[in-house]
Amino acid sequence: MIGKASRIARWLAGAATALALAAGPGMADDVLDRGVGSEWASLDPQVNFDAAAGWIQSDAYEGLVTYNSKGEVIPGAAESWEMSDDGKTYTFHLREGLKWSNGDPLVAQDFVNSALRTLNPETASEKGYYFYSVIQVKGAKALADGETKDPATFGITAPDPMTVVVEMLNPAPHMLDLMGAFQLAPLHSPSFAANGAAGFIDPAKVVSNGAYVIKEVVPQSHVLLERNPNYWDAANVHIPFVKYHVTEDVATELKRFRAGEIDITYDIPLNQIEALKAEMPDQVHISPSTEVVYYDFNLTKEPFKNPDLRRALSLAIDREVLEGKIVKGEAIPTFSFAGGFDPTYAGPQIAEASMTQAEREALAKELYAKAGYGPDNPLKINIVSISSEDAIRRAQGVALMWKKVLGVQAVNDAQERKAWLDSFYAGTWDVFADDLVGDFAGAETFLAYLRPSADAGYNWVKPEYDAAMDKAAQMPDKASRNAALAEAEKLLLDDYIFAPLAIIPTRHLISPQVKGFESSVAGYNNSQFLTLE
Amino acid sequence: MLRFIGKRLWDGGLTLAALVTLTFFVMRLAPGGPFSRSRKISPEVLANIQAAFHLDEPVWKQFARYVWGLLHLDLGPSTRFRDYSVSDLILSGLPYSLTIGFWAVVVASLVGVSLGIIGALRRNQPADYLAGLIGVVGIAVPIFVIGPLCQLVFGLKLGWLPVGGSGQGWRSLVLPVLVLSLPNIAYISRLTRSSMIETLRENYVRTARAKGLGGGRVLRVHVLRGALLPVVAYLGPATAAIITGSILIETVFAVPGIGRHFVDAALNRDYPLVMGITLLYGALLIFFNIGTDLLRGWMDPRLRHGR
Repeated sequence: MIGKASRIARWLAGAATALALAAGPGMADDVLDRGVGSEWASLDPQVNFDAAAGWIQSDAYEGLVTYNSKGEVIPGAAESWEMSDDGKTYTFHLREGLKWSNGDPLVAQDFVNSALRTLNPETASEKGYYFYSVIQVKGAKALADGETKDPATFGITAPDPMTVVVEMLNPAPHMLDLMGAFQLAPLHSPSFAANGAAGFIDPAKVVSNGAYVIKEVVPQSHVLLERNPNYWDAANVHIPFVKYHVTEDVATELKRFRAGEIDITYDIPLNQIEALKAEMPDQVHISPSTEVVYYDFNLTKEPFKNPDLRRALSLAIDREVLEGKIVKGEAIPTFSFAGGFDPTYAGPQIAEASMTQAEREALAKELYAKAGYGPDNPLKINIVSISSEDAIRRAQGVALMWKKVLGVQAVNDAQERKAWLDSFYAGTWDVFADDLVGDFAGAETFLAYLRPSADAGYNWVKPEYDAAMDKAAQMPDKASRNAALAEAEKLLLDDYIFAPLAIIPTRHLISPQVKGFESSVAGYNNSQFLTLE
Repeated sequence: MLRFIGKRLWDGGLTLAALVTLTFFVMRLAPGGPFSRSRKISPEVLANIQAAFHLDEPVWKQFARYVWGLLHLDLGPSTRFRDYSVSDLILSGLPYSLTIGFWAVVVASLVGVSLGIIGALRRNQPADYLAGLIGVVGIAVPIFVIGPLCQLVFGLKLGWLPVGGSGQGWRSLVLPVLVLSLPNIAYISRLTRSSMIETLRENYVRTARAKGLGGGRVLRVHVLRGALLPVVAYLGPATAAIITGSILIETVFAVPGIGRHFVDAALNRDYPLVMGITLLYGALLIFFNIGTDLLRGWMDPRLRHGR
């Protein structure tokens, strides 16, 4: 009812503005309008695998832990936790008196049921990956593969209503990064039993435990959230309503931002960034994310079996010029693969990172000639990339640099996302414009992706790397683990199986009315920590 | 008459069957699938997901399953939007597309026909040139230029109307309707004008005049009826196209209609959603063509008795 009244109020406010022609953008209101890009894939918390929909999920649900506006782990539904000495078991203690939005008490078993549902093959969720791969929870793999259905075999348990215990096969200091609402939102079993997955999108039926509850869902349009009075910290939730708008077209999103219809945009059009930085520097918000772009070399094809050639191609790319002058998407040039965005991880760079670009190019020419190529015998390459604007610009830029420095004849084969994904495993490319988004803001998510090294796709067989990663996986604390991971990354970079290029940033326009928005590498910016003036 | 409709419906059914079959198989030729492997999902889990959507079955079996579903009015689940079935998505998007499309057709017909009549009656006079200019602009300037331009002028500079979205009632409709009707105004006015000019020279018009009928009556009863035939023929398929949602309009103005679902579905290889919308589009096209034929038959005695 309140939602409807507010909509009418907004409509009247809009009409009044139109009549008065006082089109000052962003008049005072009680709705935070956020862009989510394309439509959310799902609002089912155990199914959704989509980062933007994860924002909606993180507002509506709360995990054992949550993330503050800087992306740091803070207590969520659990007020404290402890780790066993071997680092394999975590025990979480829930807050007293937690409630679901409908007033039901929230119990530890709700978290266990959520993980079980995620892993259940009938749910057809890709997200079980967090529990059997990113961290290895006892019994998760067998449940995901459908080998067993017995919850007693599972390592996430609730010995009493206030305690959640997570037992893992290996220590994982990053496990707290996977206990948030996106990976492990609790499941209100009675409403799921009654309504099935349809209950997650029906405002009359949805039951959640986060700072907000879902009030309205219109496909391809928006999701409206309203403050949840039963949230334990409701007194500190300042914005009454949050509306997530589908903003598929980034140019339209910018215009809607200018008109005051959107307070936080999903993205900024590439060709407008510079102008906007000059026009409204305080509203342009650009910060690194966990997304890294790197160009894979096809190790199953003859020329790329030669490490010298791969090295030459990597060195011939002027990353500063590529990102700053050609792509112009504010990406951060990088010479390393993992964790460039993580200040606690002091990882290696490729050996030539300390050289000047001129020195790198000279070395590249030498190595290229040594590999047997030259003006009479140029290397021919096809680069398979996604057909997005920045990906195409980047591929064309790289092709240009390879042509200029080495005389390589490279062509860009830009494909739709789904086709691009399949191409990778089909191996129908010389160079693959690869792109990886971390599961959390740490180096391990990237390095674990390459393991086992012989896996299809990269086809890099390197037992030393697997051994180094196995060694790192036994380290229970972050510092020694990061040191071991850095050793593994050194092995990876020394083989030049790909050319790391850039760390992709998140780009938002943020209205001056919104306060409290900070850089969060993992991309969490829960509305509960924002205020609207 | 009934036989005519029955035959057309039968033909339409056959066309739809062919459409379903072709789309189903051609769609699967595109590289990639709804669940292309993007992460280190274990192969077992990926297989489970494929199986949940019956994508592990041979294609002929999937086709049989789809047709069986269709006969029970079940368009299947969406693979991209996991919370919804294809019918849910169509039912949610269609009202937006229908509303905008309906008003665009109304505006385009009224304005287009009026401009056309003025042009024909005041041939080679300033009014005709003005109508012609509007026509040329409407046809030549694409939606993705005129749309953002309207947003800039009416949304940002003047602040009269919202730039996009669907949250402000009729005010959200004005710009999409205007921009969507513009190229159609152009076509319809050109069509009306040329066919009017032609009709004005027809013998039966001269006969009517010779009978001593007044200018206005000749125009309304004799000329317009003949002159609007090509316009009606154009409007049938155009209406189907307009009301099923213009992808560009819906993207530019952030309208939650089904046009955008169509593109999104194709890009994400959401087979059932592509099928559902194709089928809907095909059915509407056939429906409006039948409607057009009936209307033309009623307007033009030659068609009724010719066959």
